[in-house]
Amino acid sequence: MSDEKKFAAFICTGCGIGDRLDVKQLEMTATRDGKMQSCQTHEMLCSKEGVAMIQNAIDNDGANHIMIAACSRRAKVEAFHFPTVAMSRANLREGVIWARPEGDEHQETTQEMADDYIRMACAEVRFMEVPEPSGEQGEVKNILIVGGGVSGMTAALEAAAAGFHCHIVEKEGQLGGWAAKWHKRIPFRAAPEGTPNSLTAHLPEPVDNDVAELIAQVEANDKITVHLNARVTRTSGAPGRFSADITTESGQTVTENYGAIIQASGWKPFDIDSLPEYGHQHPDVVTNVELEELARQAGDGPIKRPSDGKEVKSVAFVQNAGQAADKEGYLPYHSGIGDLVSIKQALYFKAQNGEDCDTTILYNNLRTPGAAGEDFYRSGQQKMVIFTKGEVNEVTSGGNGATVKFKDKILDEDVELAVDLVVLDIGMVPNSGPDPYAANESIEDMSDEDQQAAKEEMASETAVTVESILNLDYRQGTDLPQLKWGFTDSHFICFPYETRRTGIYACGPVRRPMDIKQAQDDATGAAMKAIQAAVHAASGEAVHPRVGDLSYPRFRKEGCTQCKRCTVECPFGAINEDEERYPQFNESRCRRCGTCMGACPVRVISFANYSIDTVGQQLKNVEIPDEFEEKPRILVLACENDAYPALDQAAMSGQEISPWARVIPVRCLGSVSLSWITDSMNSGYDGVIMMGCKRGDDYQCHFVRGSTMAAERMRKVGDTLQTLNLEPDRVVVHEVAITDIERAPRLIKEMEEVIERVGLSPFKF
Amino acid sequence: MTEVVATNETILVVGGGISGMTAALEAAETGKRVVLVEKRPFLGGRVSQLYKYFPKLCHPTCGQEINQRRIKMNPNITVLTMAEVTGLEGEPGAYTATVKLTPRYVNDNCTACGECAKVVEAEFDNEFDYGMSKRKGAYLPHVMAHPMQYVLDPRIIGTDDAQKAKEACKYDAIDLDMEEREIQFPCGAVIWATGWKPYDAAKIQPYGYDRFENVITNVEFERMADPKGPTGGKIIRPSDGKEAKNIAFIQCAGSRDRNHLFHCSRICCMASLKQTHYVVDAYEDAQVTIYYIDIRAIDRFEDFYQNVRAMDNVSFVKSKVANIITDKDGNPICRGVDTEGYHRYENTHDLVVLATGMEPSVSKSDFPVDIVINREGFIEPDPANGGVFAAGSASDALDVNRAVQHATGAALKAIQVVNRVAGAEG
Amino acid sequence: MSDMNTAMVEKYRNDFLKEVEANVEEGHWVKMCMQCGVCSGSCPLGPHWAHPPQEIFMMIRAGKRDEVLSSDSMWMCTSCYNCIVRCPRELPITHIMHGLATYAKRLGLAPKNQPTSQFSEIFWNNMMKRGRVNELKLGLSLYFKDGFSQGIKNALANQKLGMNMMKAKRMSPAEFFGGHGVKDISGLQKMIKKAEEIELAKLNANK
Repeated sequence: MSDEKKFAAFICTGCGIGDRLDVKQLEMTATRDGKMQSCQTHEMLCSKEGVAMIQNAIDNDGANHIMIAACSRRAKVEAFHFPTVAMSRANLREGVIWARPEGDEHQETTQEMADDYIRMACAEVRFMEVPEPSGEQGEVKNILIVGGGVSGMTAALEAAAAGFHCHIVEKEGQLGGWAAKWHKRIPFRAAPEGTPNSLTAHLPEPVDNDVAELIAQVEANDKITVHLNARVTRTSGAPGRFSADITTESGQTVTENYGAIIQASGWKPFDIDSLPEYGHQHPDVVTNVELEELARQAGDGPIKRPSDGKEVKSVAFVQNAGQAADKEGYLPYHSGIGDLVSIKQALYFKAQNGEDCDTTILYNNLRTPGAAGEDFYRSGQQKMVIFTKGEVNEVTSGGNGATVKFKDKILDEDVELAVDLVVLDIGMVPNSGPDPYAANESIEDMSDEDQQAAKEEMASETAVTVESILNLDYRQGTDLPQLKWGFTDSHFICFPYETRRTGIYACGPVRRPMDIKQAQDDATGAAMKAIQAAVHAASGEAVHPRVGDLSYPRFRKEGCTQCKRCTVECPFGAINEDEERYPQFNESRCRRCGTCMGACPVRVISFANYSIDTVGQQLKNVEIPDEFEEKPRILVLACENDAYPALDQAAMSGQEISPWARVIPVRCLGSVSLSWITDSMNSGYDGVIMMGCKRGDDYQCHFVRGSTMAAERMRKVGDTLQTLNLEPDRVVVHEVAITDIERAPRLIKEMEEVIERVGLSPFKF
Repeated sequence: MTEVVATNETILVVGGGISGMTAALEAAETGKRVVLVEKRPFLGGRVSQLYKYFPKLCHPTCGQEINQRRIKMNPNITVLTMAEVTGLEGEPGAYTATVKLTPRYVNDNCTACGECAKVVEAEFDNEFDYGMSKRKGAYLPHVMAHPMQYVLDPRIIGTDDAQKAKEACKYDAIDLDMEEREIQFPCGAVIWATGWKPYDAAKIQPYGYDRFENVITNVEFERMADPKGPTGGKIIRPSDGKEAKNIAFIQCAGSRDRNHLFHCSRICCMASLKQTHYVVDAYEDAQVTIYYIDIRAIDRFEDFYQNVRAMDNVSFVKSKVANIITDKDGNPICRGVDTEGYHRYENTHDLVVLATGMEPSVSKSDFPVDIVINREGFIEPDPANGGVFAAGSASDALDVNRAVQHATGAALKAIQVVNRVAGAEG
Repeated sequence: MSDMNTAMVEKYRNDFLKEVEANVEEGHWVKMCMQCGVCSGSCPLGPHWAHPPQEIFMMIRAGKRDEVLSSDSMWMCTSCYNCIVRCPRELPITHIMHGLATYAKRLGLAPKNQPTSQFSEIFWNNMMKRGRVNELKLGLSLYFKDGFSQGIKNALANQKLGMNMMKAKRMSPAEFFGGHGVKDISGLQKMIKKAEEIELAKLNANK
């Protein structure tokens, strides 16, 4: 392809565009104002013939920058797929004719809208380039897995089965993690097809521990290398070119390259000793983790109580010990599997201590979900495990055995139950590294002064040091950011492997409390994502959510002031600083949201197909009518993921959108440069609306902090407006969800009202 | 119409709901060719009919927008809608799939301009709203539908309406001569993501779903809360349109019950807690009662439950409601015993929502291939299943998060098989 | 049996549950209850139960032997089978209730003067005489069980019902003089005797 840009415009006249708009006028706008070298129309541009017409212009006329004026960029994506050229789309259907009522009185403003959208799309494509991969990294079919428990081993086996090499780094001297220590495991399966509902039906029972088999498979697999007694002491690079130092206890370090990383660092048992009411200080009060050891020691024989070695004839299980309460020192969540574990353990007693051994499970809400869960509950009941809905107040002991004091919620009475052994169902605490953002998040809502004070206080205290798992040499911290309570889970329900550190995926109980079955499913999914990340890195494509995007951030070094805002604000910790203190973008860590671009005060950061100019020139190419025409102009910067589709759908379902609005989709509100706001104010826009996703704890921004950043930056724009003698109401940031089909147009209407109140902008020339 | 280019390295994904879409995308984005087969005229499955997700109370359409964009932009995926797999023969790495294509009567020329719907007169129950609203005989299933193409209801074929629709279309997109046909193509591995369906509440006789207008199901309630739904997002009583402020949720309506479904459907507790938010957000003087056996807010969802529990106008009653009767005004009355301390109740509500459970969409006899299922009808992972892997709710009652997680893993299982075909593991 | 009466049952232990399993018809199902309460809510006699079925099951598990066996709750069961039909765990609740009542009666722990219990006895004795129920005598025995003057009051109160039954030929005054019976009364009595023997043997085997 020659370097010279050749522009071609294509206008569709179908779907009513030709009927509602003066197409001759649009063509003229495209060529005269939009500076397109050619302009063709078609009555159905998305048809085979229409697409062939465009392809012909590309193949035979050398068009390499094309502007398509038709429907929304969300529609007919498959038809208008021309990956070799730069392309912009003017939304004349959903954006104009469907959003405006028919009728002569509206004709003028509707046509103006359409003309503006043509000018905008032409301006955009003039400043676009065809993105090409940087080639910064190649194919590395090597995956680093941190943690050698069930999750880590499963991830390794599954990735190896797909042809990838894996390195497992395990801090202990053997593989297997906690699960290897269990006497038996919870059954994975529900009752088989055809099982009747009878007292004698065979229902699933605890299954012999098969972790040893898993270990054997790992050890026998020539694609898997295991590092025992080892830690990851440094991780640098990016997907497709990670480099990790693996250091053994004896101090030897090996360095390897990896395409992607899986963190399967597991969990640790909650420290129940911190809650003396559970009586764990007494010998015959044990945790469910400790009971596994007792059961294993007993072999197939009876389980003995620790105090005097007497065979246990009665046992009480205290569910949710130290869990699921907002009491001080308790875990606010529960392990979700504690009831299944207790049923399993109660069945140990039935099998090993005899059917006469009384086993009582004191629960509040029994949680045995799914098909396998509910069948296991029945299985326990069949063997006379007793379930009592009770609220345990205290566990005491005067010597041998122990007494559980609880309120029987069904019989509504206070009870003291004396048993040989009490088993506490304790919670699972994630084994995470330090959260890079923990300190910031706790002070986010404070005022600037308070934040400063809090930071100083934190610095002076000797903070509890959590050991790093990954030792990332990232500018923004050594480990994966956490979601809640130390878990490094995804924030997104429909994207469970979404991660804030590209190419690094967590799986197993470090994400969410889970059992072996769930951990294995989870590890398989994480292995899938890791492989995918390595594949994408090799081809230079972005991963979720802008999958396939080949653009990446570049910067004009000579203009950079080394202010570091981009490195601080990147939601994915992608940007480091190089030795000369310039930003180092690490393309394959980047998610292409453009937050760095929005952060840069000197506007030196850009993407090939998305830049200060591709948007800035759009807004500058809108025709601003002079004051006397009394036609305000409202710039709407809409997040392409939620707000823009909401406006599209509004038009599709017959909602009117203000004729004064000019909507520009942005990758994320985080990418919005302040210069766009000041430019629009200076060019005479009367109002600016930014529509982004929900922010806060339950944020919906797919780039995490985009709408938060926009709101923060705009707090400061008020001062600028005042120096220009403009009312601060003219610039607003709204949280708009994709379902806000009625609300989104209404927000624009509200801006119309503001303008009516404060008057048109004095900056119209 | 639909050309399917497939080889033994192609992955067939059956079911285009969130699990199937996820599995298809994860595989396709790793460079594999995928054929995605969906029975309905659009992708997205049951998730597209949800208003909000728990626990974030965010909108499923948000993720769907991203997934649809991923599909539109990915040349590795062939999507077949209104299609069903009727046959599957062969072995891992070498299957032949037979797919039945039901006519849409609308081709790819459709621009979704909507002119056909304007001229068609016949109206039918809108299945997207579980029959709570009507739609035309030419219709776009919903405003976010992908493919963004209209559908002609087969019931208008041969009527004047069909002719009118055809004449109204300027793009030659309506083809009334389309016929059902069958296609065959090879594939190496199969991901079975056929999902779930709501249990038929009419079978729970004591609750009178088929007799009382003001007893509805949770999936219907979900449509009602959606601003795009049949009531425009207003929570009202079907019988008289009155605002429904005093609402009862009955948990385990069909689940954990040998008369209906043996299993716990896992999601219904959280769904009702979520729907409680809808009610409380809609009316200041709302009153919600949740009748339950065990509240199963699993692991990290516990705080979501505790937050609802702390609301002044929400009460929890540990009880499986015995039966429902109605008074002369059509108010449903729940009768039963609060088992915590034995208290009888007979509570009058404006509306009762049955938290009906999840049942596998495909029954054992309808699988085109031998597959290991459990008593509840869910697919168990088993070597006997060969190159067929379940994804999402076809494998167990799962919430969206777990279903997607499971589907991501299923994609890798399928990739392992086709990689072996390609000899690419070396 | 007297040992059983004074059996030491430790509260919140499984002893009594095991005793129920051994001695009560369908008692093995008690452990399968998941405390949903649908049985209790479904019982038409519900408000008259001191302890509804699901609570009784919990009391059995909690080892409340005396409270359960001396309770008159299970005597309230009219065998409508609503509970069985609705029970999500398929517990044969009606049978368990009757089983518990029978067991309590056998142990002599059943409440004294419990009307259902008394009626059952009168019914049984009445029927065993001729192999068929003598409605007239059954009614009379029931009315006069608490003495003559109470009997007259009871009879007057139910006068209309009695007259209607006679009109409908459901009852005949002639029955006072013997009434009809089965052809082979001694055969029936033999059969019952054998059944009682089998029942007893079963009970002894369980001890």
